[in-house]
Amino acid sequence: MTGAFDFAPAIALLPLAAFAVALFGGNYLPKRGALAGITALVGSLVLSIWALVTVAGGETYDADLYTFVAGQDTLSLHLGILIDPLSALMLVIVSLIALLVFVFSLGYMNDEDETGLPRYYAELSLFSFSMLAFVFADNLLMAFMFFELVGLCSYLLIGFWFREAGPSSAAKKAFLVTRFGDYFFLVGTVGIFATFGTGMFAGSESFPHMAEQALAGEHSVRTFLGLGEQAWFTVLGLLVLGGVIGKSAQFPLHTWLPDAMEGPTPVSALIHAATMVAAGVYLVARMYGFYLLSPTALGVIALVGGFTALFAASMALVKQELKQVLAYSTISQYGYMMLALGGGGYVAAVFHLTTHAIFKALLFLGAGSVIIAMHHNENMWDMGGLKDKMPVTYYAFLSGSLALAGIFPFAGFWSKDEVLYETLIHGFGGSPLLLAGYAMGLLAVAFTGFYTFRMVFLTFHGEPRTADAEDPHGVRWNVKLPLAVLGILAAVAGVINLAPVEKVTGIHLTFLHDWLDMAPDSFGTAVHHYTGDHGLMHEFAGYTAAHPLGETGTVLVGAAISLGLALAGAGLAYRLYAVPSPTEHTDKLGSLKTLLMNNYYQDEYQVWLARDVTLPLSRAADTFDQSVIDGVVNATSSVSLFAGERVRRIQTGLVTHYATLITLSLVALLVVFGYLGGWF
Amino acid sequence: MSRPRIVRDLNPGGAVAALALFGVLVAVFVTATFPDAAGFEAGVSITAGIGYALFDMADQSPLVTEGFLVSFVLIAVALDAALDGAILLARREDGSVLDRVRKGGEE
Amino acid sequence: MVGVTHYLVLSAAVFAIGVFGILTRRNALLFLMSVELMLNAANINLVAFSLHYGNLSGQVFALFVMALAAAEVAIGLGIILVLDRNFGGIDVTVPTTMRR
Repeated sequence: MTGAFDFAPAIALLPLAAFAVALFGGNYLPKRGALAGITALVGSLVLSIWALVTVAGGETYDADLYTFVAGQDTLSLHLGILIDPLSALMLVIVSLIALLVFVFSLGYMNDEDETGLPRYYAELSLFSFSMLAFVFADNLLMAFMFFELVGLCSYLLIGFWFREAGPSSAAKKAFLVTRFGDYFFLVGTVGIFATFGTGMFAGSESFPHMAEQALAGEHSVRTFLGLGEQAWFTVLGLLVLGGVIGKSAQFPLHTWLPDAMEGPTPVSALIHAATMVAAGVYLVARMYGFYLLSPTALGVIALVGGFTALFAASMALVKQELKQVLAYSTISQYGYMMLALGGGGYVAAVFHLTTHAIFKALLFLGAGSVIIAMHHNENMWDMGGLKDKMPVTYYAFLSGSLALAGIFPFAGFWSKDEVLYETLIHGFGGSPLLLAGYAMGLLAVAFTGFYTFRMVFLTFHGEPRTADAEDPHGVRWNVKLPLAVLGILAAVAGVINLAPVEKVTGIHLTFLHDWLDMAPDSFGTAVHHYTGDHGLMHEFAGYTAAHPLGETGTVLVGAAISLGLALAGAGLAYRLYAVPSPTEHTDKLGSLKTLLMNNYYQDEYQVWLARDVTLPLSRAADTFDQSVIDGVVNATSSVSLFAGERVRRIQTGLVTHYATLITLSLVALLVVFGYLGGWF
Repeated sequence: MSRPRIVRDLNPGGAVAALALFGVLVAVFVTATFPDAAGFEAGVSITAGIGYALFDMADQSPLVTEGFLVSFVLIAVALDAALDGAILLARREDGSVLDRVRKGGEE
Repeated sequence: MVGVTHYLVLSAAVFAIGVFGILTRRNALLFLMSVELMLNAANINLVAFSLHYGNLSGQVFALFVMALAAAEVAIGLGIILVLDRNFGGIDVTVPTTMRR
């Protein structure tokens, strides 16, 4: 019987077919292409679940689909599929969220009588195709191709309402900032292909395996720039990290994500919360065997992640628009995932990726529901008292907020706690840099609690502050259904990896850890290969775990501290904002608030870099090109023209002049022959 | 016809070229070495020898020479051609050749 | 003793005078006369070597050269007539239409 893996290509190709249908036939369909997308994604979800079940039975899959450069004795480039526990999990997450977003779009876009919908559904389907293909890519080049395609779809969707200035400018900004990071990614990809001759992620022929063997002395690879092997691998890892930082909106390439909120809210939910920005973190997880070989790269990842978590959370404290708070929250939460990966918590990072996809998509869809209700007014200060009028939205949003803030027992508590715990124990185990990351992450927990509940209370509690809030526009089943599904998931998804409970009670509850450990040893992508007792983390990255208060004690104290901080932040928000008429308490921060509202002037800084640093440089290069290089070319031609003009004057037309020349030439020849022949 | 005048605007390159050529040739000739001169035998008619040579009858003369009959005939043809060519060049479009000849020697 | 070198220097001098005439004379007839001088310089050379090596071929060759010189002058005079017809004079520096 044909297995799930025979249909694996269809997981991505079904949305591609929906793209074609929506693009060419969307105008004739009743829902303008939404049903094609929904059908395709139901198919993808079913196939992904089937693949998940098959992987749970112990099988995995790594095959080539199409070779477009078959090298002889050199590298070959191909497209292939890799389905192992990590990619199977991600496929299910992406298909599920994409499906729910398509259903939600029926309510957000179709019911609101938006125009240009075939284009919208086509772009959304194309995005689904690219994201799914990126997830099951089996080599780095294919991953890069779909990474770029995902960026293109993001550009198209952010700029969906391109006739207005804001969306089109935001789309360009998103594309350019991520493209800047992708430049380094491309260089890194070429470097990896040049060094290892392959870009495969898993298997005995994969580049992480070859790199590991090279460092163990069993194999030799070419390095460049005269660097040793570990230094060169660090360089390659940092280059690929450039693309990751851009795509996952980490500092300093985070500036595009808040502006990306100009796009329709379902797009924000799918792309800028759950899937596309996850692509960067997923790539690091995919290549984790390679990153573990370089402690420097891990340290950079952890610091960037921790710093971004704190940095973005601080900016979310003062924002007035609903989606802006969520955007900065996204940046901050992806910082946590990067902190986990840099700190050696592979399972923690994947766990947080999963739970964050669920609750962030939920929060964005909830925000979308509120936005529909408020007639597309996003300012939280114009809302208030919506909880009585929109109960489904309220409870779903509350579930997501509790998960985001990390309140027990919602999903976010378990995953964020595990991130912080792993960083803490590896920090005490001899990597003090990780303790700095831990401190930043911990402070960000307090901020997260505060801004999340400030958002909830301003939007849903208190008295309605405008007429729209008193009489909100109703929403239908197509909005409420996804909210309900995600709301339930956000509450219960934590059960997949209840690590603290396991450590305290001894009952085996870390299902995600086991799931990710199921990859066969030939693939090299199992958790024990990464972080087990003899795994890469101990051998090469030098991380060991140290429990200052004993294992159980450290777990409980860590959990208590983070829960306490989250509750403190939430409690402060409750005191300040869960009142009938809240005021802008953040004004008390004074000039600090101005700094935060202006996003630490990062946007101005980047524009300054482009305009006042890069532009003069490129003008100088242009001048050099025109005057020197073109000048040399022009000078060559003008020299020959001038010389020709002068030489032409010998042709006077006078016979005597010609005879003179002949005679002189004859004399010269005679002299030369005379010297050579010894006549004199 | 104007009386001859001294040329004032000489082509200087020409003077230099001629002098240089003279200089080179003299330099070569003066420094060259020749074997001893061997003249002709006394009392032998040179002109007769030339005649015999022209008609490929070189063995009739004791002087060293070669046959030049083919060249002789070719030169004859060349002279004939030159004569015809001169007349052709001198002929004008109306077919007349002489341009200042008047009947009776009038001028 | 008058050796072959003297004759050679003489022929070189006559040749150089002929070259000088070609390069500097403006009258076409004088041009032709200079050409004659050059040819006769070559003749002197030929005859000198004929005597030196005792071989009559040099003198026969000189005869041929003379005949050719005559032929050449015939043609040359024809050309001068054409030159006079087309350019109104026999100054060789006037016809410059074959440049550029």
